[in-house]
Amino acid sequence: MITDTLLDRRQMLGGAVALSALTVPHGANAATTRPDWFLGVDDVVADVPQQRLTRIHGRVPAGLDGTLYRNGPARFRRAGTASGHWFDGDGLIRAWAVRDGAATLTARFVDTPKRRLEERAGAMVQPGFGTASRTGSRVTSADDTNAANTSVIAAGGRLLALWEAGSAFAVDPVTLATIGPEIFRPDLAGMPFLAHPRVEPDGRIWNLGLSAKAALIWRLSAAGKLEAAQAIELPMGSYIHDFTATARHLVIVLQPWIQDHMALPFVESLSWKPELGSKILVIDKADLTKRRVYDLPPFAAFHFGDAWEESDGTIRFDGCFEADPSFGRDAARALIDGRYMAVPSPRLTMVALRPDGRADMHAAGIDAEFPRSDPRGAGLPRSRTVHVGGYLPGRPFAARVGVWDWRTGKNDAHDFGARHLVEEFVPVSAGKREWLMGTTVNLDTRRSELHVFDAHHVAAGPVVSWTADRALPVSFHGNWV
Amino acid sequence: MNLIAAITAAAFATLTIAAHAAPVVTTPAVAAASATLTVRFTGIATPTGAVLLSLFANEADFDTGGKPVASTMAPVKGDTAEAVFTGLPAGQYAVKAFHDIDGDGKMGTTPFGMPLEPYAFSNDAVGEAGPAKWAVANFAVGTGAVVHSIKIR
Repeated sequence: MITDTLLDRRQMLGGAVALSALTVPHGANAATTRPDWFLGVDDVVADVPQQRLTRIHGRVPAGLDGTLYRNGPARFRRAGTASGHWFDGDGLIRAWAVRDGAATLTARFVDTPKRRLEERAGAMVQPGFGTASRTGSRVTSADDTNAANTSVIAAGGRLLALWEAGSAFAVDPVTLATIGPEIFRPDLAGMPFLAHPRVEPDGRIWNLGLSAKAALIWRLSAAGKLEAAQAIELPMGSYIHDFTATARHLVIVLQPWIQDHMALPFVESLSWKPELGSKILVIDKADLTKRRVYDLPPFAAFHFGDAWEESDGTIRFDGCFEADPSFGRDAARALIDGRYMAVPSPRLTMVALRPDGRADMHAAGIDAEFPRSDPRGAGLPRSRTVHVGGYLPGRPFAARVGVWDWRTGKNDAHDFGARHLVEEFVPVSAGKREWLMGTTVNLDTRRSELHVFDAHHVAAGPVVSWTADRALPVSFHGNWV
Repeated sequence: MNLIAAITAAAFATLTIAAHAAPVVTTPAVAAASATLTVRFTGIATPTGAVLLSLFANEADFDTGGKPVASTMAPVKGDTAEAVFTGLPAGQYAVKAFHDIDGDGKMGTTPFGMPLEPYAFSNDAVGEAGPAKWAVANFAVGTGAVVHSIKIR
């Protein structure tokens, strides 16, 4: 399997990268002596029927009823063939439900054309973000390669399983059965729809769809109905995974990782050009022609925290900034082979866009990914950023969950330690109380766990934890519904 | 993935123009030409409009958006449509086609150039990350009558 992967890489990559892949001495051993963290990128072969979780410790907070829907890739390999990138596995929707003090888990794959074709072929053949196509692939539209694996939101009584380069897939929130690609309007069929829509406190949804310098601005009602779709041109053709927004503005971060030539798989069409610096495009939600561009030093980034505007017009937001895009370009590919590559960690960083046109940024001094904040205050001033971090030498994935407070400069965090792979945590409110909910993969028990923290006492440890009867691979993003 | 959209649409840009400009077969100059090619489209899901198609006689024109030897419009009847080219010299040919469901004479696309109307190539060839190439789409036309079927989706 590893040999196959390396051969494919040789075919699809340019000389230098291909050579480095071939000369990694551990590659050949990975199949026989996989690192224990491989559990985080292992395959799920079938849907997971509902099971009751076993409580490990603690008590369920009163009034905490709902479901943490999460999405992430969970099928990477079929009969000697493998995805070439962590981002290209099939999306598995997991429903971690808490009802009347008990918790359950159900998980079901999104039934995409890609997955159907590969089930029939018995092989991973479709191209992806970092996966080359194989014999038997069939691509007549972007949705033929849609893995629907990045996030999941609820809108209009349905779930939307989100990817970034094609349609959202509608999913039944109870059965997790796939309804199909969401066509918001016939002429917008198959248009890209990012996995990180920004949802205003009243439920209105803003999103982007990208194709190099072309962007479509999506605006949906709280019920998930299309209100408007407008195409705009961006100052540069950056790779965009996420954006942010204040109450009045869309804030689009343009990193100098540019789609400047045609190559497959997609990631090969991106060039790192730090000399261009990063740019921030700010657009008035009420008039998309009103825009302003700010300049910042170069950084690479996948994720941003919610933005807000201050009384003097300053716009602030934080993000998880990397020194270069080597995680997404290289390390996230190696994960599928069971290889860990040391790359720059994402660092929590605050950006300020000043009314006089200047922009600056300063670092919190901590590693952080998956920044989240209370959805009730989206686009409004805040000081707290929920995140995961605590990256350890020699292995991928976070080991810590925390709430960074920009006002006090303190991180209220809990370390799960080296034996857990920590996934994204999301803020949850129940009455007047605020909680964090998230999942980890326990490498000792080889099972996935669900945890609830008091959002204001994270260092005290989880108030309740449950375990499933199995491990599911590390997921990307989700939301509490 | 976004690249796929752009290049697929680009492949049909010439077809659109050609179909508008020349709804009849250009008469080949070769006197010995005698073949009749019937191109039959099957599996049409929407019984409206017409299939617009272009016939190419060499790899360079087919693969790089060059000039077709003939273009025509085949009205849709039920789930099929048929176009006939006469007086063709024997040789290798390939077809690009799309179903102009709304009858506006052009391939409907999304704001990013993704095809919205069904399209197909001869031999039911499928492209890898873009339109099908001559290498997989070409077929032989001899000196008699030939029927070539294409499933359009």
